[in-house]
Amino acid sequence: MSLTTDQLCDILREYGIPFVQKITATSLQEAIEAANTLHYPVVMKISSPDISHKTDVGGIILNLNSDEEIKKAYLTMMDSVKKNARKARIDGVIIQKMAKSGLEVIVGVKLDPQFGHVIMFGLGGIFVEVYKDVSFRVTPIDRETARDMILEIKASSILQGARGREPADIDAIINVITGLSHMLRKNPDIIELDINPLIVYSHGVAAVDARMLTL
Amino acid sequence: MTLKAIFEPGSVAIIGASSTPDKWGNILLKNLLSNGFKGHVYPVNPKEKTILGTVCYPSVLDIPDPVDMALIAVPRSHALLVAKECGIKGVQGIIMVTAGFSETGDKGREPEKKLMEIIDRYDMRLVGPNTLGVVNAHIGMNASIISRLPEPGGISFITQSGTLGLALVDWTMEMGIGLHIVVSTGNKSNIDDVDLLTYLASDPKTDVIAMYVEGINRGREFIKVAKEISKPILVVKSGRTRSGSKAVFSHTGSMAGADEVYSAAFKQAGIIRVDNIENLFDSALALSVQPAPYGNRVGILSNGGGASIIASDACERMGLIIPALQDYTRQKIREYIPEYASARNPIDSAGLATYDVYNGIVKQMLLDPNIDALIVIYVDAVVNDAALPAQAIVDIHRGKCNKPIIACWMGGTGTRAGVDILEKGGLPNYPVPERAVIALKSLVQHNGFLEKVKV
Repeated sequence: MSLTTDQLCDILREYGIPFVQKITATSLQEAIEAANTLHYPVVMKISSPDISHKTDVGGIILNLNSDEEIKKAYLTMMDSVKKNARKARIDGVIIQKMAKSGLEVIVGVKLDPQFGHVIMFGLGGIFVEVYKDVSFRVTPIDRETARDMILEIKASSILQGARGREPADIDAIINVITGLSHMLRKNPDIIELDINPLIVYSHGVAAVDARMLTL
Repeated sequence: MTLKAIFEPGSVAIIGASSTPDKWGNILLKNLLSNGFKGHVYPVNPKEKTILGTVCYPSVLDIPDPVDMALIAVPRSHALLVAKECGIKGVQGIIMVTAGFSETGDKGREPEKKLMEIIDRYDMRLVGPNTLGVVNAHIGMNASIISRLPEPGGISFITQSGTLGLALVDWTMEMGIGLHIVVSTGNKSNIDDVDLLTYLASDPKTDVIAMYVEGINRGREFIKVAKEISKPILVVKSGRTRSGSKAVFSHTGSMAGADEVYSAAFKQAGIIRVDNIENLFDSALALSVQPAPYGNRVGILSNGGGASIIASDACERMGLIIPALQDYTRQKIREYIPEYASARNPIDSAGLATYDVYNGIVKQMLLDPNIDALIVIYVDAVVNDAALPAQAIVDIHRGKCNKPIIACWMGGTGTRAGVDILEKGGLPNYPVPERAVIALKSLVQHNGFLEKVKV
């Protein structure tokens, strides 16, 4: 079973993992209202339990700044999704506040047949996909272990502020990892989960998207 | 029940003993009888009166005395019956060499289940089935098909592969490595890694636990138990290559292959994972005779520049540091080396390898607070005697000083006399610097686990 992003956000928020504010809209009118409630700029994402890779079907449009742009994006997205994912059920669109840019990381979960739940940490984008520069720990994970796994990746100097960057808020990432670890104890039927991207700032983090698979 | 009946039995029945040379039942009996094992040995075979000069019994039930352990090597068709008789007899532990159980697939699963029911019903414990046996070198018990009993020592070895385990035991003898318990785990259907770790942790003769692992069954308990063991545990886990994962839902799902998870689990359990068999025993040797250092700062002494550079490079690659020595140490060291030689770490004695030079320099380096561990290298040359520098470092009484010394006597047969002195003096020696550094890295890692992971 795979939950909609909405339901998943609510669960993760309970465990102290901050999600960028968002509202699900079932019509164009609702989408415009949502954007005005959250204040521009916003992001529009397709909301469907059947679509896992939103980008592939034209289901994400970034940086919308006006009612006019929302309208155009809405029509483009519905068109594209219907064309690319014909059978997908569509609940509407998610309007999410555009997150400030920062360092993108990924925090994920997998249920391992021998050891149970393991948590993965890595930097986003090519670091995870090309370099496979990630670290793992078996749950439960305490703060010290979470810090170890964060600093274990080869590119950890980037988190500590290499090349003139401000150091990333490692304690905030630790909170996400330990929060997930608590969540897993109460939700043993989770098979896989990605929080991707989790944007890390010099103060705090913001989860932008997440997906989960349960038994 | 403890596993003592299996690893230190007072009496052993060998069921399926045979008078035909080369049959397993014959090899096992011969091995049990010929290595100084002081316990009683009772061959069991309904068709024989005596085998290898020992009285043979038709069944375990006919043995007049109590039997602690039964070594079973009968055909699979007889295995369940024989196990049941052991239960009735009051045997406490079984080593089931007989194969043809779950390792053969579905058809072997049912008989294995039935075997386990018998084991549980009579409150016995079992190694195997499909094991190549158990060795206890200190009591001269070779209840296995290993051809020679290993030298007694402080390393106990758990191997999931029978044949690989046997080959390795032979190899350790050539390396001069002493073993205590060797156990081929077979199918692990009763006694598994968690049980074995628990037993070896409280076994006073085991200083280091070395494991060859293909897979672990009770993952979470394994981590929990290993965390509580302060003795060093080393593991080679095969199957590092990524198995093609199926339909992938998430990034995490595609990245978290079994091997990555094992690596994480070993780290959390405070288990040192090494890449290969050579590293396993090299590291086990060092850990069995040397203390774990408090840090990763290494001092190197060599009578040849090349070898010390190779050693420094290897240290750096493996995260060990080659720090500067204190001024005072450098001054002292200058008294032992020619003026043109360098008193900087790594120290090159410019060819000198006398007793006084090695003894003096090593003493000074051990006293230096910047140094946590030493690698002492000797490169053989006709003008030198490999025994002198070896004796020079063996003679240093380190008292409570927790700084390990790793030796590297290079040059083959010419170094033999020196290597013997090192071995007798409890200094681990390696023929090339890289192996010495890997062994030292394991010592450093163990200290890290003692500080951070072990409870």
